[in-house]
Amino acid sequence: MPELVTIRNQLIEELKESGFNQEQIIAADESRACYGYDATRQTADPMLVLLPENGLQVECALRLAAKRGLKIFPRGAASGMSGGSIPSHDGIVISLTRMKKILEIDQENMIATVEPGVITGELQEVVSRLGLFYPPDPASLAFSTLGGNVAENAGGPRAVKYGVTADYVMGLEAVLINGETIKCGNKCIKSVSGYDLTSLLIGSEGTLAIITKILLKLLPAPEAVKTSLLAFSSMTAAAHAINAMFKNQIEPSTIEFLDHHSINAVRDGLPFTLPEEADTVLLVEIDGTTPGVLAMSQKLKELFKDDALLLIEAQNESEREQLWIARRRLSPAIANLAPHKINEDIAVPRAAIPEVIARLEKLSEKVSLPIVCFGHAGDGNIHVNVMLDKDDPDQARRGHQAIDEIFAVTLELGGTLSGEHGIGNTKSAYFDKEWSPATIAIMRAVKQAFDPDNRLNPGKIFPA
Amino acid sequence: MTTSTWQQELKKCVKCGACMAVCPIYRQTGREEMVARGKLNLIERLNDEDQLPPGWVEAVDYCLLCGACEENCSKGVKITEIIADARRRQTEKLGLNPIKKSAFYLLKNRILSLPRFLKIASLVQWILWRRLPRHSGLIRRLPLPGFDDKTVIPALPLQHLDDHLNKRQTSSQLKPVLYFPGCATRYLFPYMGLDLLYVLEQLGFQGIVPKELNCCGIVTWGAGDLKSNRELQQRNLEVFQKHAEIKEIVTGCASCAHALKEYEGLPEGCEVLDISEFLFRNREKLEQLVGEKKLEKKLTYHDPCHLRKGQGITSQPRWLLKLIAGDNFVEMQHPERCCGAGGTFGLAHKKLSREILNEKARDIDASGAEVVTSGCPGCLLQLTEGAVVADSQWQAEHPISLLAELLREGK
Repeated sequence: MPELVTIRNQLIEELKESGFNQEQIIAADESRACYGYDATRQTADPMLVLLPENGLQVECALRLAAKRGLKIFPRGAASGMSGGSIPSHDGIVISLTRMKKILEIDQENMIATVEPGVITGELQEVVSRLGLFYPPDPASLAFSTLGGNVAENAGGPRAVKYGVTADYVMGLEAVLINGETIKCGNKCIKSVSGYDLTSLLIGSEGTLAIITKILLKLLPAPEAVKTSLLAFSSMTAAAHAINAMFKNQIEPSTIEFLDHHSINAVRDGLPFTLPEEADTVLLVEIDGTTPGVLAMSQKLKELFKDDALLLIEAQNESEREQLWIARRRLSPAIANLAPHKINEDIAVPRAAIPEVIARLEKLSEKVSLPIVCFGHAGDGNIHVNVMLDKDDPDQARRGHQAIDEIFAVTLELGGTLSGEHGIGNTKSAYFDKEWSPATIAIMRAVKQAFDPDNRLNPGKIFPA
Repeated sequence: MTTSTWQQELKKCVKCGACMAVCPIYRQTGREEMVARGKLNLIERLNDEDQLPPGWVEAVDYCLLCGACEENCSKGVKITEIIADARRRQTEKLGLNPIKKSAFYLLKNRILSLPRFLKIASLVQWILWRRLPRHSGLIRRLPLPGFDDKTVIPALPLQHLDDHLNKRQTSSQLKPVLYFPGCATRYLFPYMGLDLLYVLEQLGFQGIVPKELNCCGIVTWGAGDLKSNRELQQRNLEVFQKHAEIKEIVTGCASCAHALKEYEGLPEGCEVLDISEFLFRNREKLEQLVGEKKLEKKLTYHDPCHLRKGQGITSQPRWLLKLIAGDNFVEMQHPERCCGAGGTFGLAHKKLSREILNEKARDIDASGAEVVTSGCPGCLLQLTEGAVVADSQWQAEHPISLLAELLREGK
């Protein structure tokens, strides 16, 4: 096999002949490495980086790579938390950040057609000017791409009422590893012709095809939103409160929770005073029509006037922002607790939250490392952070032990390894703990059908 | 910053990508090497190389130092300082770009303040450039290298601020404050300086403008020429020391205020204030002076990076605009986004700077304002160019000029 450098040079020539310009081909050593990392801080050095501007260029790149049997690594904003976009040194990164056109906003059918590089928050901003609403709200929405959101099936705090990215994808256009384009789904609300390939591609972490066009369902924008902060004396009390909300027909759009470690990390400098005995804080948002929101938040207040240690209701946008400060400051604040953290995003059925938290509390004592939990109580998705110093071998060992046990507890309670980050290459070693050999075999067969030579984003999802 | 401290700084970056949400250059290029996370990665990996590769040099060069990434960074990484320090090392290894070198020579030796220089330069200007029909500023008459048919340059005044001050008389009854006009106001927009001095007088203050003041040094800092930067700082500090009895230094230039606030060794008890901060501090008097008068123009406001991200000043200029225009002050979309000027960036990277500016111009257009205001002469020049490029009618003005206009009404 000729050297990578020779292959690269030949490939670059062919790409240029096919219409790629200088700015779309990144070959210099120093620059390529800027496309080898993501938010997991793994680094890699791909052999070449391409920035196509349309689906035809993606097809072209994949055809030329296929001739030489090269590996392909699709990449959006690379803000992922599971290493989904990390390339290998002999692969080509296809960065979709330049395909960022909103192609159509069909107001009659309430569907947006976008290219994969459109930033999630930008679509939200554009449709909101038309009185429309694209609900999925991953924390990274100000910089993550919709293509990445679809590939990882991203979720966010609003999932409790509005669901996740998958609930909004009506159809896709995607390029297969051999350079052919497939279309799946359409603008029809009812559509049952053939296998649902759209659902298959959603959350496939770039291992089946490269998404080049997305049809997204939109909703009418809610008229009003009300934010409240409630403090409870224990996790169990907070969990009961959540159940009570649903039993009383209160349907919040968001229920975020902070455990006592989280509270202590942000307590100083909050724009309001939290009672000393506050052990769990809930941040609740209710949205809908103005009278509906008013009625529901009234109900919320009556329901918890005795049980909650504290109940603050935001009266305007700036007060709302103040209540969110506690949640927003959390990530940097807990980073101060230890030099490193191992961050997992397990999900369990909502009712199992108190049980998980109690078990993790015991685990924390057992491994003598702080375990900080916060996240989306409404949908059972918990961000579990094991705080440690990885440079201390003993702590590193205990950290890994903690992760093993966290996953074991989660699966035992009917949960899943990942609620919204995906498996990527950081959790693939645990994959066979969640799924049986037969299930994994059928998943592998699907992968095989799309990508027989295992060249598209290899090393992700499946255990090595 | 010392080498070890910024290496520590670099390690703080967790590559979350939040800088991508706000970087004006990334917005246009979509290229990872152009955003803070990528630049930091390059700087960290190639720190010890003797030969800085072209991609490194380009990445370090393509930065407006607007500070948007820093403002949005949950880890608080001091990104602009890391970039400036990288430029210092680049300058040490590769030498300073000749255009910047000669520009700094002009600034350091205060060539612009020589009376004959402005007059000759102004004459040359009128041969090669023509006045814009609706805006202040000039546009080329004939094809010129480095200037396209939309590039706006300031009309050099025949007299700079110091000349005007020689002829000006003020009452000695007023309380003195030190006024640091900055190079742009002094040599290019002296009327802004006169407006500011007028407002000060109305409030009962006399703006003292020592002739020996130098460039604040921010452009030399941004270019990595720390030697020149220290020299300029030292000269200004000597001037401040001479007037040590004056405790307030005010300036109407966002960049100067940002630079001066970073000076070490200001006279004891002395503080630097942007003019909007100073006016807010004297708000009772100013509100009295303005009374019920309101400007009958629709205004909007562009946050200069060096004011908002550099000094955290956002509310004071808005308070001022509400005071003088009431409901005629409207917010544009994304007032915080950089206009693309970035000191000398716009000169070096015209195309990219123009793309950033086009977006800004669209936001101003959509606001429906007749005047876009901003407390930074650099932004104002760039915004004027924005109006030309977008073929729009709006003017770009310093809030202080509008305030002066209102206070002069009926006098």
